[in-house]
Amino acid sequence: MADKESTVYVVDLGESMADCHNGRVESDLDFGMRYVWDKISNTVAASRKTWTIGFVGFNTDETDNDLANGGELEGYDNISVMQPIGPMSMTELRELRSKVQPSRSYGADPVSAAVVALHMVQQYNPKHKIKRRVILVTNGESSIDDEELDDIAAKFNEFNVELIVIGIDFDDPEYGFKEEDKSTNKKNNEKALRQLVDKCNDGVFGTMQQAVDELSIPRIKPVRPFKAYDGPLTLGDPDKYPSAISFHVERYYKTKRASPPSASTVVVNNNGFSQSQAFKDEDGDSDMGGAEFSGVKQMRTYKVNDPDAPGGKRDVDFEELAKGYQYGRTVVPFGESDLSITKYSTKKSFTIIGFIPFDSYNPFINMGETGLIVPQKMNEEAELGLSAFIHALYEADSYAVARYVQKDEAPVQILLLKPNTGLEDEFECLYDVPLPFAEDIRSYQFPPLDKVLTVSGNVLKEHRLLPNDDLKDAMSDFVDAMDLSNYDVDEDGKPVDYAPVDEVYNPIIHRMNQAIRARAIDPDSPIGPPAEILLRYSKPPKKLLEKAKHEIGNLIDAAELKKVPEKAKGRFGKKDAVKPLSGLDIDSLLGGQPKRAAISSENAIPEFKQMLNAAEDDETIEKAVKQMGEIVRKLIKDSFADVFYSRAAENLGVMREELLGFEMPMLYNKFLRALKKSLLSGELDGDRREMWYKHIIGGGLGLITKEELDVSDVTEEEAKAFAK
Amino acid sequence: MAWGDDEERRFGGEEEEEELDENDYKTQKDAVLFAIDVSSSMLQPPPSSDDKKSDKDSAVTAALKCAHSFMQQRIIAQPKDMMGILLFGTEKSKFRDETGSRSGSGYPHCYLFTDLDVPAAEDVKKLRELVEEGDDADEVLVPSKEPVLMSNVLFCANQIFTTNAANFGSRRLFIITDNENPHGNDKQAKSSAAVRAKDLYDLGVTIELFPVSRAKKPFDLSKFYDDIVYRSPAEESDTSEGVKTSRSGDGLTLLNSLISNINSKQTPKRSYFSKMPFELAPGLTITVKGYMPLHQQKPARTCYVWLGGEQAQLAQSETTKVDSEARTVEKSEIKKAYKFGGEYIYFTPEEAKSLKELDTKVLRIIGFKPLANIPMWASVKKSTFIFPSEDGYVGSTRVFSALWQKLLTSKKVGIAWFVARKNANPVMVAVIPSGSLNDEDEDSTAPYLPAGLWLYPLPFADDIRSVEIKAPPKPADELTDKMREIIQNLQLPKATYNPLKYPNPALQWHYKILQAMALDEDVPDAMEDLTVPKYKQIDKRVGGYLAEWKEELADKAKEFMQLRATKRELEDDDTEERPRLAKRPKAAAAAGSTGGQMSNAELKAAWENDTLKKLTVAVLKDILTSKGISTTGKKADLLERLEQWIEEHA
Repeated sequence: MADKESTVYVVDLGESMADCHNGRVESDLDFGMRYVWDKISNTVAASRKTWTIGFVGFNTDETDNDLANGGELEGYDNISVMQPIGPMSMTELRELRSKVQPSRSYGADPVSAAVVALHMVQQYNPKHKIKRRVILVTNGESSIDDEELDDIAAKFNEFNVELIVIGIDFDDPEYGFKEEDKSTNKKNNEKALRQLVDKCNDGVFGTMQQAVDELSIPRIKPVRPFKAYDGPLTLGDPDKYPSAISFHVERYYKTKRASPPSASTVVVNNNGFSQSQAFKDEDGDSDMGGAEFSGVKQMRTYKVNDPDAPGGKRDVDFEELAKGYQYGRTVVPFGESDLSITKYSTKKSFTIIGFIPFDSYNPFINMGETGLIVPQKMNEEAELGLSAFIHALYEADSYAVARYVQKDEAPVQILLLKPNTGLEDEFECLYDVPLPFAEDIRSYQFPPLDKVLTVSGNVLKEHRLLPNDDLKDAMSDFVDAMDLSNYDVDEDGKPVDYAPVDEVYNPIIHRMNQAIRARAIDPDSPIGPPAEILLRYSKPPKKLLEKAKHEIGNLIDAAELKKVPEKAKGRFGKKDAVKPLSGLDIDSLLGGQPKRAAISSENAIPEFKQMLNAAEDDETIEKAVKQMGEIVRKLIKDSFADVFYSRAAENLGVMREELLGFEMPMLYNKFLRALKKSLLSGELDGDRREMWYKHIIGGGLGLITKEELDVSDVTEEEAKAFAK
Repeated sequence: MAWGDDEERRFGGEEEEEELDENDYKTQKDAVLFAIDVSSSMLQPPPSSDDKKSDKDSAVTAALKCAHSFMQQRIIAQPKDMMGILLFGTEKSKFRDETGSRSGSGYPHCYLFTDLDVPAAEDVKKLRELVEEGDDADEVLVPSKEPVLMSNVLFCANQIFTTNAANFGSRRLFIITDNENPHGNDKQAKSSAAVRAKDLYDLGVTIELFPVSRAKKPFDLSKFYDDIVYRSPAEESDTSEGVKTSRSGDGLTLLNSLISNINSKQTPKRSYFSKMPFELAPGLTITVKGYMPLHQQKPARTCYVWLGGEQAQLAQSETTKVDSEARTVEKSEIKKAYKFGGEYIYFTPEEAKSLKELDTKVLRIIGFKPLANIPMWASVKKSTFIFPSEDGYVGSTRVFSALWQKLLTSKKVGIAWFVARKNANPVMVAVIPSGSLNDEDEDSTAPYLPAGLWLYPLPFADDIRSVEIKAPPKPADELTDKMREIIQNLQLPKATYNPLKYPNPALQWHYKILQAMALDEDVPDAMEDLTVPKYKQIDKRVGGYLAEWKEELADKAKEFMQLRATKRELEDDDTEERPRLAKRPKAAAAAGSTGGQMSNAELKAAWENDTLKKLTVAVLKDILTSKGISTTGKKADLLERLEQWIEEHA
């Protein structure tokens, strides 16, 4: 795709283009430019020097083109070259935008304008192999001299230039568009343009409605196939065993995750006046025009612990540092040259470990992107050998498991090789997916889903957590009714899958791209809604829901779901007492002891929780919070550097959580306000800002807001401001 | 999330795996304290036996070996997580070095062998010396004469967690003992222990009990431990994961039994998302939690070390952002913009938010398909495990179970739209069941993974690479038959790929070398790599077949080569024989232009030679598109239209 391209857009700017037609509320020019700007912005986005663009307006008030400027030729009036062919950046785009306006003129010949464009593309780097293209946009109101169409088409063909004519409200029976009450003039002009396109070897004739409709269909950035591996696939070790077999294969990527455009971190450059770009600031005012953005760089500084330094840490120079690895908390320094000794040395290889039957593999254990493997081109042994291997796997219902090292010193991967005999898609190959290593598996335990084991060790098959037969039947009917695999039929009457993988576009990528392009073309317009096609698969198809209405109803009845109310927690003793497996009431054991008078610092959290649990009035709670508050402050005050910060934060977190439960946010907020003051004023023995920013704000321990708990009187904005 | 740099590196990045649950103020770290009972029965060696496979370890040794392997695994897989070892019932008492004066009085008969921390190389060494070389110079492993008070053990653990693992998201106490009733009928001692256990519960420490039983006699929890152990707060359902007793027998040593029980608790069960609404149909929503049982482990990155002090010290890095004139930039000045055509395109924060917000957090079924309809190549990313929870909708578990059973029986999968968190990018997933309905069927395909449903990410059209090469299918032949026999003779053990048998050699090597360097030991020069095929076995089992097969392949290839040469000569005069296009995704097909490049003369020649019909539909469509002719209809229609065009134009 890195091919060179030159495209000249030829756009009708005549006075009739300012009118709206056929029930549209935008002018013909705006309508047509939607297509043109989208195309141009795509080129801008690509930022490629070899993709060049020119722009010719016709029916302009002025005349400015080489053919007319010489004065020798007639019929080139009111045609202006508004941008000579060249690379297109935002600067050019902005300039062009300001110039594209409907004029008060008419009468220029679109075909003459196309000839001007032809002249331009032909003159531009004539010796280079460039894909040359002229795109003409008009509403067909300008008359055409149709006598020289043959000669002109011959010129297009001679220089291998593609001609695309897109007419506003042009008839297109195939697309299904016909303009009623078309003027005879327009009819004739359409006919002439169609003739011209038909005479060109490389020509397209279309109607604007179709072109604009297709803009919402996401375009996928084509990526050249990347050959990941080119070498032998072996069974056995050819170096040691003469029996080992080996064929030369090539491996390409079949899937590779595409990622949405990523945002850069920038700052507004207040002293930059070189460019002007109007944009909205956060309040929506547009008075910041004249500002420019510039990128932000990261600077790293390094610190080490030093008991003698203020704050317990001091800066060290980068030059004083060596590289190393961590083994647990032990750091092992390495010289730059030794670093590689921990790297497991590997040789490029691709070799089969063994085989497993199809049904012993589950797709969810694969770890990522797919590759595909084909034989080396024009290598008969590889072609026949791999083909036999693929067929044999298929017939034996087996997959191969292989050890894969992409190149020397690359990490080892385990790949599962799946045979594709190409019976359906004419493409015989192996597909591969990566499998996990031992270290990649975390063994999590879950209770079984089809039975309930009681604490006493009994097995129950009927339980409120298990579905009864009604629910099972209703679920079965529901799943069958909601089948997508024969949602539709194709021309041959074969069932067609709904939402096949290659028709579902990544919504975020295209949403972002569309929005960025739109903003680049027109910085002042608000962001439109996402295109329908991007959200099409976010919900079940209506037709299917309609069909399965009955089954859905039955399933809802059989499920008997109950929504858990938002706030189940209440105040004072309404909480279910927590009990160990035996059900022993620990609180009663505690109750036997005298009531806790004070919370100790060393066992603060349990004692705080137990005190609150036993509380019967607000006073006790306030007392507990006050004591906990003292402990938090003392921990911070006594902390050498940050050693007690986590502990203080944990205690504070428990306080916050409990007071949320008791719906007493004011108590927490009051304490936090006072604490902030102490922290930042240095009252707690030194610079405690890190406690505030990293542990309290960074730890999500800010003020309790109204959004979080209704009875709070702190708004989201207040909390945000307070966090600063 | 604004933890320090390290956390960002750990949780952020491209993968965004361990995304924290909303509003979780605790750091997502895990601390495990092993509490090992050092009683005379725990120290008693097993009866000697000639059987090589029989037990050789006392329960204490087995427990310490377990802790040793746990420690090493932890360094590799969870380098930020802590562990410690507390021995109880010992004659000696030791809490912390600096509080030597308190020893003996603070927590009698509790010996803190390894303080709770991220393990250091010396900790590994000290433990190894005790376990493997029986080097117990300090006479630590001597049982006390009087019984230890369990309330003391529990409070000692409490203090260790409070001070060393403050604000950790997960704190677990592993108790390994063979004593089901440490306090007999002493009610006072029992209830003190129960109270201290409640303290631990309130502190957020989970007690995991690993009972050891020598004889066939079961370990009776009701005597004491039922008052100590709480159901994990994360477990909403009535079901219990159960306490598994470790014992020797059934061909398993005590050590293996203990290791397998403890390994299943190696990683704390940490949810990736919770309270996820799972919308089966409009008006039918249940709640599920998500987990990541699969996670690719990589060797840790290099760090910077400061060598200026007595000991090598890790240098903590801080980043500041500066603009083009090296001026430090305040956080409030920073804006996000997109590069476009050499400039930045800017959206206000509100706009940026609205762009990302296509949907709220949801998992929504749009329908079902047979599992077989998911193309075998449709894979882009590891899957997420989901399990029902009752915290949003009561009844979620039974509905989930019904769906799971139906999908298993019918071999179907759900197709769903999935947004993992607020502002997360939506993806399409296949909802695939794991496990088996049959109790007796121990041969479930992935016994190392839990039974439930998996969210298997499907690729988008954007993720599919177009590979424009041809790979025409060839018919199966004798070579195929022979190869089939080879394949059937080289099945992996138990006819399955069990990842647990394949440790990642890069990781193993990295930490082996590091460990040796950290402990100042000799660096090994080789290591067994279990991913290397068993070449000798392959040769032994199918060497004969392979040799035969190779010979036959060589013959066939020769024939094929000759055939090809002849064909090529013929084709030299036959220019229209164009390479056929491989199947590509539709979206990319329009961009291809192989057919469009056929000149009119070539087309005309093909028409006259009647070879146009050899072109595939894709190529025909390309040609027609390039001529601006309609591309709808069947191949015959396309041919007719093309012929008509050639007649008129070429």
